[in-house]
Amino acid sequence: MNDRSTQMSDVRAMLVESATRLFGDQVDAKMLDAAKRDGWSPALWKIVEDAQLPLVSIAEEAGGAGGSLSDLAAVLRIAGRYGAPIPLAETALAGWMLASSGLKIPAGPLTLAPVHGEKITARKNGARWNLSGTMQRVPFARIAGHLVVLAAGPDGDIVACVDAAHCKITPGRNLASEPRDDIVLDNVAVATGLVAPAADGVNHFTLRERGALMRALAMAGALERALELAVRYATERSQFGRKIGQFQAIQQELARFAGEVAAAVAAALSAAGAVERAQNATFAVASAKIRTAQAAQEGALIAHQVHGAIGVTDEYALHHTTLRLWAWREEFGNEAAWAIELGRAMCAAGADRLWPALTSD
Amino acid sequence: MFDQVDFSALELPASARALQREVREFLCAEFAALDFKPRLGHTEFHAEFTRRVAARGWIGMTWPTRYGGQERSYLDRFVVTEEMLAVGAPCAAHWFADRQTGPSLLRYGTEEQKQRYLPAITRGECFFALGMSEPNSGSDLASVKTRAERVPNGWRVTGQKVWTSWAHKAHAFFVLCRTAPDAGNRHDGLSQLIVELDAPGVTVRPIRFMNGHHHFNEVFLDNVFVPDARVVGEVGQGWKQVTSELALERSGPERYMTTFPLFTELMRRLGSTPDTRAAEAIGKLAARMWSLRRMSIAIAITLDPGPDSEHGTPKATVDLATEAALVKDMGTFYEREIIDAARLLATVEPTPEASDTFERYLAETIVCAPVATIRGGTTQVLRSLIARKLLGPLK
Repeated sequence: MNDRSTQMSDVRAMLVESATRLFGDQVDAKMLDAAKRDGWSPALWKIVEDAQLPLVSIAEEAGGAGGSLSDLAAVLRIAGRYGAPIPLAETALAGWMLASSGLKIPAGPLTLAPVHGEKITARKNGARWNLSGTMQRVPFARIAGHLVVLAAGPDGDIVACVDAAHCKITPGRNLASEPRDDIVLDNVAVATGLVAPAADGVNHFTLRERGALMRALAMAGALERALELAVRYATERSQFGRKIGQFQAIQQELARFAGEVAAAVAAALSAAGAVERAQNATFAVASAKIRTAQAAQEGALIAHQVHGAIGVTDEYALHHTTLRLWAWREEFGNEAAWAIELGRAMCAAGADRLWPALTSD
Repeated sequence: MFDQVDFSALELPASARALQREVREFLCAEFAALDFKPRLGHTEFHAEFTRRVAARGWIGMTWPTRYGGQERSYLDRFVVTEEMLAVGAPCAAHWFADRQTGPSLLRYGTEEQKQRYLPAITRGECFFALGMSEPNSGSDLASVKTRAERVPNGWRVTGQKVWTSWAHKAHAFFVLCRTAPDAGNRHDGLSQLIVELDAPGVTVRPIRFMNGHHHFNEVFLDNVFVPDARVVGEVGQGWKQVTSELALERSGPERYMTTFPLFTELMRRLGSTPDTRAAEAIGKLAARMWSLRRMSIAIAITLDPGPDSEHGTPKATVDLATEAALVKDMGTFYEREIIDAARLLATVEPTPEASDTFERYLAETIVCAPVATIRGGTTQVLRSLIARKLLGPLK
């Protein structure tokens, strides 16, 4: 590994710069407040879609924008940092399911389903497929044009691109008021051209794994934002005749917070690299989701503590970030769920495999 | 933080993997050959083991070949170091020279000093200790009182150093002392001298650790003559020299791995079908270790000066001091998380005499646990440093 390989490629650097500018310019308090009511920002979606960001990491031959999973990871971290109220990760994941199964990616926001492993049945019926089942808390379902559904067909899992208009959707939301909707598919008809056998590597387990990775990346970005806000506040707010950042008690907390943020960023981006190389990915993704969720726990509370009472109001920006952290840490498996799974797998492999597993990437 | 690092591309190349296998085989064979059983808490001093490591070219391995080094990458050194720590290898004899003294000499030393010490260090024949802390200078290192007075052809040094690990077995140590009185800027007027421990006027006395072990010492310097040729770098620039290379020192795997063998033994004890509580604890420990390692590797690689470097010392243009402090802060707490998980899952009454390896490791690590967050910069000092970087100057 030489110096070059650890520093960002020029293409990545440009992507990061343009995504930072895009989200930084567009996402403001007004947009985030409106999204609390509307569930998302169609205006932001339009700009992000025009910039082809949801198609990053999908091959150009498959209708994507090219680039690697690490490129997408860099974008999702930035989107998480600004709390971009759009189904960017969901569209990217749904696009990956479609593209890897040889299906066309429709325009507009997409989401993937199910996200809790529910069984959806698919039956062939002449020139159509019929899908049935119920799914809980599907992200952004009510604003997505299509749901990309992983269902059990007669000869194995299939991927189907389902028109959202044909689904019975009951709106719900997470702590940050992002749509998390329950869905009933009651013999929904899907044309055969929109259905394909699920590609190798597209299954309930990898959906959860990739979902967890997406949330880990978003949390890493959101934690960076929360730290920025806390640091800025500590340099502006005075009490007892001093800036509160001059008190060692506050400094110690901010330093601890910075550690959590650094660990979250390192873990989330490293896991993206592991998935990209398809190398020890479960270990890496589990570790990343565990570590970012732990950082979210510590970091969000320190951010609020430093801010005092102003931080818990809906007029101050911090809550857009902390509410998302508290929501995202639970989605696609929280730190306990992943830790139990990881711990069981490691113990089954045995003590002598611990060190090799930790050092395999 | 870590703005210049591309974590997703961080991957061990084939050459590092080969080295990893080589070190694992070496350790397995040498532990058997030397009939060595690790102790945890304080890295042990084992001159014969150090000579065998040296014979493989793994001491000073990043240094130029003309000084006995191998011109290997920082990542290679990282791999060797973490393998040693993973099994509790006894590295104390070469530890400080490999990590600190050697790189300092490479950057600041004279050609004569390099020739005299570096090849001997890489052969495992010359051991160094560090003379920094004093009875009244702990975290506030710039307040050291040991002073050197100018005499013809050198200096006369008088003072007292404490917590000098393995000074009773080392050949020489770096002494941070005052060569000019404090005239306002307390960081000026400090210098680094090499004092050989058999010099007249040097007295080494043990300071016993709370479990009775002897690795700490106090070293008395009574009018010790140090020739000009043993001044490291510039007279008066000691503070800058001491603080300029803390990033590698603070971010290495020794900051989160000293209790790692206990983790392995804990898993052995839990067996292949742990209950939910144990599985969760193991999963969390693994996740945190993995994350720390990624950060530590990132720092090692980013500081690597590359093959064209003159010195084999960390790249001076990259400032990772804050990131390194974060790794030490989190790493040293992580070491305790292993101890606590082991303690709470196993519920044994610890005794140093335990015949069971897990139980003995547990007893050893509990007693040594307070040290990690004190040495190399206390948690509180590190956090102040990190906060200053985050907040900038506040008025």
